[in-house]
Amino acid sequence: MKKLAPALIIAALAMLPLIGLNTYLLHILIITIMWSIIGMAWNLLGGFCGQVSFGHAAFFGVGAYTSGILYHKLGLSAWWGMPVSIVVVALFALVIGFICLRLRGPFFALGTLAVGVILRITAENLTGITEGNLGIMIRERTWVDKTWYFYIILTLAVLVFILIKKIIGSKLGYYFVAIREDQDAAESLGIDTTFYKTIALCLSAVITGLAGAFYTSYMGYIDPKVVFALHDISIVVIMVVMVGGVATYWGPIIGSAIMVLLAELIRSIPKLGAAHLTLFGLLLIVIIIFLPNGIIGDIPKLKRLLGFRKSL
Amino acid sequence: MKKNALDVLILFLFVLLPSSLLAANLPEIVIPIPLTGQQAKFGEMMKRSYQMAAEEINAKGGIRKQKLVLSFEDSGAKPETARAIVEKLIDSKKQPIIVGEYTSSCAKAVAAVAEERKTPYLIVASADDAITRQNYKYVFRQNAVNAHYADGVIDFFKQVVKPKTIAILYESSAFGTSGADAMVKDAEKLGIKVLLKEKYESGSIDFKPILSKVKAAQPDVLFMVSYVMDASLLMKQIKELRIDVKLFAGGAAGFSIPEFPDNAKDAADYVISATLWTPQLKYPGAKEYAEKYRAKYRDYPSYHGASAYSAIYVLKDTLERAKDYTPEKIRNALKATNIKTAFGPIKFEDKEGYQNQNFNDTLVTQVQKGEFETIWPQRHASKKYVYPIPKWRERR
Repeated sequence: MKKLAPALIIAALAMLPLIGLNTYLLHILIITIMWSIIGMAWNLLGGFCGQVSFGHAAFFGVGAYTSGILYHKLGLSAWWGMPVSIVVVALFALVIGFICLRLRGPFFALGTLAVGVILRITAENLTGITEGNLGIMIRERTWVDKTWYFYIILTLAVLVFILIKKIIGSKLGYYFVAIREDQDAAESLGIDTTFYKTIALCLSAVITGLAGAFYTSYMGYIDPKVVFALHDISIVVIMVVMVGGVATYWGPIIGSAIMVLLAELIRSIPKLGAAHLTLFGLLLIVIIIFLPNGIIGDIPKLKRLLGFRKSL
Repeated sequence: MKKNALDVLILFLFVLLPSSLLAANLPEIVIPIPLTGQQAKFGEMMKRSYQMAAEEINAKGGIRKQKLVLSFEDSGAKPETARAIVEKLIDSKKQPIIVGEYTSSCAKAVAAVAEERKTPYLIVASADDAITRQNYKYVFRQNAVNAHYADGVIDFFKQVVKPKTIAILYESSAFGTSGADAMVKDAEKLGIKVLLKEKYESGSIDFKPILSKVKAAQPDVLFMVSYVMDASLLMKQIKELRIDVKLFAGGAAGFSIPEFPDNAKDAADYVISATLWTPQLKYPGAKEYAEKYRAKYRDYPSYHGASAYSAIYVLKDTLERAKDYTPEKIRNALKATNIKTAFGPIKFEDKEGYQNQNFNDTLVTQVQKGEFETIWPQRHASKKYVYPIPKWRERR
């Protein structure tokens, strides 16, 4: 049964557009799935490999801009951005990794934070390529109907999920965990830590970049403030993983459901919705205090709490 | 237990179905607007103005004898959220017309959705030129485009100030960039030399590095494009650094809302700004609206509020002329709009490469004794302009 669960969930999700979901719900689902992909990507680097990044917006933005520039400058479809961004973002992550991965712990976090901000400012000033603050607007999106967007992002999410599961189950995954647990010990056992950290960073960056490229095609408008956002992307992705459960397979998925789906639900409560930030903030505080390992990470605790109530 | 749930469901169906079948019912209009985050000040003013107009209309019998019900959803100035709200409005609420939003990035996201879903969208205060240059059929804009914001200021330069050089500071956003670019073009046309064009991060707290560049360049005129907080901080720091130029000019937004003289105090004196509307204009209802707003909220509204207020009247006019409340009919009625509002005459034209764009006179205000006075064009002037302006050390 447990083995079947993922397949069942995917099947159920895949059926959703067929039952005639309205485009609003579909939009929210698409954004949720997109965030779960970014969350999974961050989790690979931050959760399994222990390198906490505060600058994932950098990779998201580079992916998004790859798409945008292909469309705007070369007249190609923005969808080409998805395959092309793999190469661009990977090269980019190599450069960033070369600089930032020499740093450890908080210094790495600060380094990535700076990278995200530097890139935003770069994109704002390279007006010849990126159009600066005016952003890139896609005149006509491919489909008005959302079904295809939904299937594309769902497929991507499934592939990423399987990929991450395979990686973590392999030797590579063990190296990552070893680096997270004790970098010096890992090094002394003969693991080339810088090399494997670079691999983790590149993988994580490429996946995030794919989500960024998808964002361009889907939203049809990007500007540096939107795609290189520190709060709205770099920090939100950390929250997605923290709330869901660090270093768990399902954590980012649950996390994005809460951070996107639930946030939207709270926002649309009539009247009370006006205080949505307060309510949502309170909810996050409660989760962080009582479930410090995230919802998936603290499942035993959750079960105990709920079971306790039942026995009363 | 299960049966109960079924009963409730059936009850719901009975309650909901008939109301959705009555197509002629006036729909509730939900307005997406930034009510949290950096742009909240503008959102708040617009929300109050929308409500004020709706109350007035309802007091006079509503639209076709039906009450106009408005509600608001906070987009937090995020394009994703703005889009989500609009998708919901079009799809689940079947709202046949969209009004609202503020920042240009949100308006772009909303405009794309509106066009795809063939639902008319009335833009109230988003300025980026590109929005009405996309050959969109369903997107209408009531405020002037950014390229024209400074027309009044340019005219004032030409007739009165006759500057030889100019320095431009602008915030890094779509609004700031397009405003600064438009000013460069206009300045070149007038033969004014642009000595400096510097961008700053919006929300900065220290402008002294770029201001010292301005001081070194010694321009005749300093032109700035900023949102709220930056505008007053800029002027305060200019005062501290005693930068004297012949004239300080702002490009609407932050320089034209009441928070500017409130926050900058005497540093705001004599600063001129481009604006789209002032309470002193002789448009029907302009003064009444401004006084009513002031009586209620203790400050005069800026053009954002006036535009929002008038948008509801445009909406009323459109809905009354539309044959029925389908997006297609409303769109056609909106296109044929030709009314006079507190914001000025409104009609949507296709010219200069824009589609469905309203063209209004843009004005110049000057802060005199802490109040905005309209100084240009002269036919709209409420007070005579003060020029040349006193140097900082000559002020009290």
